[in-house]
Amino acid sequence: MSDEDIRIGVFVCDCGTNIAGVVDVPAVVAFARGLEHVVLADEGRWSCSVDYLSKMQDLIRENEINRVVVASCTPRTHEPLFKRTTKEAGVNPYLLEFVSIREQVSWVHMKEPEIATEKAKDLVKMGVAKAALLEEGQEIRLPVKTDCLIIGGGMAGMNAALSVADQGFNAYIVEKEPELGGVLNQICFISHDNHKSPAARVIKARADQVRSHPRIKIFTDTQVDKVDGYIGSYTVTLKTNGDESEQNLDISTIIVATGMQEIEPADQFEYGNDPRIITQLQLDNKLKFKQLGDVKNVVMVSCVNSKNETRGCCNIGCHTSVKNAVAIKQLCPDADVHILYRDMSLIKEEGTAQQLAKRLGVKFLRFPDDRYPEVRKQNGDLKVKIYDLLVGKEFELLSDLVVLSTAFKGNNSVEQVKGLLKVSTNPDGFFQESHVKLGPLEFATDGISLAGCAKAPMTFRESSEEGIGAAMKASIPMQKGYIETEGIVADIDLTDCSQCGLCSKRCPYSAIKVDAEENPDVIKALCKGCGLCAADCPNECIGIVHYSDDQVFAQVEAALEKAPAEKIIAYVCHWCALGGVDMAGVSRLQYPSNARLIRVMCSARVSMKMMQRPFELGAAGVLVAGCEFPTCHYIEGNYAAEKRLKRAQKKLAKAGFDPEKLWNVWCSAADGPKFANTMRTMIQDLGL
Amino acid sequence: MSDSILVIGGGIAGINCAMNAAKYGTRVYLIDDTPSIGGMMARLDKTFPTNDCSICIEAPQMYEVDNHENIEIITNTEVRKVKKINGTFKVKLMQKAKYVDEEKCTGCGACVEVCPVSVPDPLDGKVGGMRKLVSMAFPQAVPNVVTVDPSCRFGDMRKGGACIGDCAVDCSQCRECPIALCVKACEKEGKKAITLWQSNKKLDLEVKSIVVATGIKNAPPVGDLLGYDKFENVITNTEFERLMNAGGPTSGEIVRPSDKKHAKKIAWIQCAGRGLADGKGTPYCSKICCMVSAKQTIITKEHDASVDATIFYNDLKAYGKGFWEFYRKAKENDVRYVRGRPYEVFEDSRTHNLTLRYEDLDSGDLQTHEVELLVLATGIMANDRNKRLAKALKLKLDDLGYFKEKDPLLSPLETDVDGIYLCGGATGPIDIAESVAQATAASMKAVCVRP
Ligand SMILES: Cc1cc2nc3c(=O)[nH]c(=O)nc-3n(C[C@H](O)[C@H](O)[C@H](O)COP(=O)(O)OP(=O)(O)OC[C@H]3O[C@@H](n4cnc5c(N)ncnc54)[C@H](O)[C@@H]3O)c2cc1C
Ligand code: SF4
Ligand code: SF4
Ligand code: SF4
Ligand code: SF4
Repeated sequence: MSDEDIRIGVFVCDCGTNIAGVVDVPAVVAFARGLEHVVLADEGRWSCSVDYLSKMQDLIRENEINRVVVASCTPRTHEPLFKRTTKEAGVNPYLLEFVSIREQVSWVHMKEPEIATEKAKDLVKMGVAKAALLEEGQEIRLPVKTDCLIIGGGMAGMNAALSVADQGFNAYIVEKEPELGGVLNQICFISHDNHKSPAARVIKARADQVRSHPRIKIFTDTQVDKVDGYIGSYTVTLKTNGDESEQNLDISTIIVATGMQEIEPADQFEYGNDPRIITQLQLDNKLKFKQLGDVKNVVMVSCVNSKNETRGCCNIGCHTSVKNAVAIKQLCPDADVHILYRDMSLIKEEGTAQQLAKRLGVKFLRFPDDRYPEVRKQNGDLKVKIYDLLVGKEFELLSDLVVLSTAFKGNNSVEQVKGLLKVSTNPDGFFQESHVKLGPLEFATDGISLAGCAKAPMTFRESSEEGIGAAMKASIPMQKGYIETEGIVADIDLTDCSQCGLCSKRCPYSAIKVDAEENPDVIKALCKGCGLCAADCPNECIGIVHYSDDQVFAQVEAALEKAPAEKIIAYVCHWCALGGVDMAGVSRLQYPSNARLIRVMCSARVSMKMMQRPFELGAAGVLVAGCEFPTCHYIEGNYAAEKRLKRAQKKLAKAGFDPEKLWNVWCSAADGPKFANTMRTMIQDLGL
Repeated sequence: MSDSILVIGGGIAGINCAMNAAKYGTRVYLIDDTPSIGGMMARLDKTFPTNDCSICIEAPQMYEVDNHENIEIITNTEVRKVKKINGTFKVKLMQKAKYVDEEKCTGCGACVEVCPVSVPDPLDGKVGGMRKLVSMAFPQAVPNVVTVDPSCRFGDMRKGGACIGDCAVDCSQCRECPIALCVKACEKEGKKAITLWQSNKKLDLEVKSIVVATGIKNAPPVGDLLGYDKFENVITNTEFERLMNAGGPTSGEIVRPSDKKHAKKIAWIQCAGRGLADGKGTPYCSKICCMVSAKQTIITKEHDASVDATIFYNDLKAYGKGFWEFYRKAKENDVRYVRGRPYEVFEDSRTHNLTLRYEDLDSGDLQTHEVELLVLATGIMANDRNKRLAKALKLKLDDLGYFKEKDPLLSPLETDVDGIYLCGGATGPIDIAESVAQATAASMKAVCVRP
């Protein structure tokens, strides 16, 4: 589009008296009219009211406006509304720029109407400067068919497969063992809600359903050998154990449900030196196959290799030991059963199971965190020495069966699967989900979900639920037939690319693939638009739609055109930092007006150049504001930004600027006071 | 035949259930009986075990469901009656009046500023600030509109059919009360959004399936538990959560109720009230309280490392991923963990400091400990509104007041009524990640119901 064709409409909102009570809105409108490319500026009493929105659409059409600047409250709540409105008026919604003059101006500079008006003008000018450079964008779609690969045929995997297949999609279960059922195959009873059911029956019920389902294909004794592609178009190669031939599947989505395994206690508690010393899982197995024999003195030790420097609580040990203690008591009522524990963590109904155990005569002895029981063999006898915390004495228990409740780790295939899918694990050998709180069932990479004990030890019931939930995650794109992302994405111009591959390595979402010629290519549908790659590319090849270098620099220049020495350029991330800014606004915290805020999606978008450019133009200071650690909406963009800030300070010093004038703040969306305070201290320290 | 689903409860579970179903392409009604969605998470400061800021991660999801074309959010609304006919649930709802026109209110807060009547904010309990009779549930509320408290005197007078002030018109017929300050302020803003004459509204829905996501509540301290009723500086952990919260009544300053001074010596008592008879306390381990206290001490230490923080506990529950590491982090931050059972609390009437007597479970000795602020980790209980809802839905509750599943082994999250599913705190004590996982699973079940 040539320069003359750019026709910008500016809509400034009064928000009743919320803005107009402080800011001289007519003056801002008049000022906007005088800006380059602006063909219309209008004042709206309530811009978000239905009446005004339709007026806005009429004005856009009548004046052939093709870029829209709205100056009103905050994009965090109102941008979707104005985007819809512009779209309905026939303007590509990516050609809308939102300027916040309520939260950033009228509410926080209530006592300085003139200064507030000047700041509002500046912000509008910045918005217009950016708007002139905006380019059309569009949501990006990637087709997704309906074939789902499920790695692991345990309870989570089988539940996932059934949920997927019941919708008419195809499910392929790959299980490396000969049987479906996973760890449950070694278990005798499953306890739940004060009842217990034989595990074999539960597995059979599920496995029968899975086997007879016309849409489920099962590959037992088989492993995944190769995975190529991304959501919607994976090619997966399977290899059957002991068979040279390979099989290829076209897959759309993947569910990882590879489960976990016990960590056998090597060289501890005499384990391995005596068949009478076993793990809890081995005991379950014995109970299942009725091989317990005639035991008289059973001693269970909890938290073996758990709750130490390397590993946390195994989550299931306590209630498993209670369940099995009861089972032993029921088989051999005369047997003495002791459970030696550190903490008894039993939730809800599990507490009732413990009462039952106590009634049956199971004894619970607590040992100190740092003084585990010791097992020794003496003349063929097993003896367990325990320091009983409650009576404060040490004594020995004679035993003919020692059962260790051991820790767990991810299945031994975790490393291999991790490599194939390029997903993360944590040091315990479990897979790492995309967000510990809000993304429990998926990886950061679109199209791959996660369920059950592959993520962390959990109960049978939780695994089953997670399997169904993971199926939902996989089914959404399969049901829609595509995945779609907002058009704020990266775009690589290969002209200057040195094929360093940095972008591909740095992208937190594996959205940049390097092709056979080593050229990077953005899979747009996977890109989340954080801008980390663009800021880090040494050759500035990467543009981000709606946040290109040019657009940001246009804002910087517009802001600093007048009186730069009094101004601070503040880059704020859309999520928490802007949330904090908005919170300061809602709480009417009054702070100095020197900062001109520039919104970016993630603090990682702010390149070294963006940190330096304002100084070249004479700015008093620069602030980079992002989410408080560890909350980042792009996994760890704020960490990347923090590192870059350190490097930028060195660079600034070399370029002859005062590195102390480059500030940062990591602030939560609830923390208005923190943002306001940063403004105050900055002004003081910068001597403004 | 309806292809829509109904999600009851707009906490993090309900939000995630609605969002997944909507993305799948199903129409969703998301209802909550309070004025805003958000649930418990909207009140929290940080979340264990990562210390992610709670509202920072929840608000974007709240906006997302608010803006999703497949989701209709209906707040301040209760389920009154549900009938299943030919596979379709016919649901009767009652929307309690907010006395505000949701279409017109922009949440500007002009009315809040002028309202002369403040009442204690029930959200904040003992640490509470005050709330105006017309107010926003919290700044990020969705929908972002104010609600007039039904106890506003104009509302009451209207009910009595009385004339308000010197106005000559019968107010039960008047559409524009000229007297109430909030009405005037709103009018001055040009919005006319306050409708003090609004009455409760009945709504009818038809849906193919229902997900119950009504959440939990913090167990209230009963029977003057450990001095809670008598001493100002004994508070619950939910109240402490509000104290820490930058968006809370003290803007995140950890000050004690009696003198608003920063508390330098604080103790937490785990399992407070656990095992009390007659359904007064929680009869079981609520599983999350240990981590809640670990979090609260870590954040307290972040605010001020010199604070002396002690946790009295018996069994440590650190069941989830990263939870044990989180507990260790608390210990590394010099939080003192004492295995002990406090049984009595005294107040020094001059300093308002508290002395607790406890039995040290390691040594068996009886000891005392003095603090400036005492926090009771009272555990999680089933939501009281479950009873009424269960009746309307014809579902069973378990002995503890949570909704009963049909067969947790082979049909998780399903209930005795086909087409009604459960998730989140409605199933028992639960943390956020588990709520989200269950909600996603429940959404799978709900969308797959064939009408
Ligand atoms: C003090 C405290 C601190 C915590 N800290 C953490 C933490 O750090 N990390 C963590 O993971 N978890 C934490 N939790 C637990 C966490 O809050 C819960 O796991 C989570 O909020 C449960 O979500 P939910 O959606 O199931 O329930 P809720 O958040 O309780 O939401 C339920 C919603 O349903 C509505 N509702 C209820 N009944 C009805 C009805 N009949 N009709 C219509 N609507 C109804 C309610 O108004 C509410 O909005 C904490 C809990 C407490 C008490
Ligand atoms: S970082 Fe830049 S130069 Fe390096 S490969 Fe990516 S686009 Fe090319
Ligand atoms: S913008 Fe972010 S998500 Fe997109 S390719 Fe770059 S680094 Fe990856
Ligand atoms: S003054 Fe009117 S528009 Fe503003 S918050 Fe109050 S009711 Fe809503
Ligand atoms: S009428 Fe409005 S301003 Fe007056 S007390 Fe009630 S809510 Fe407050």
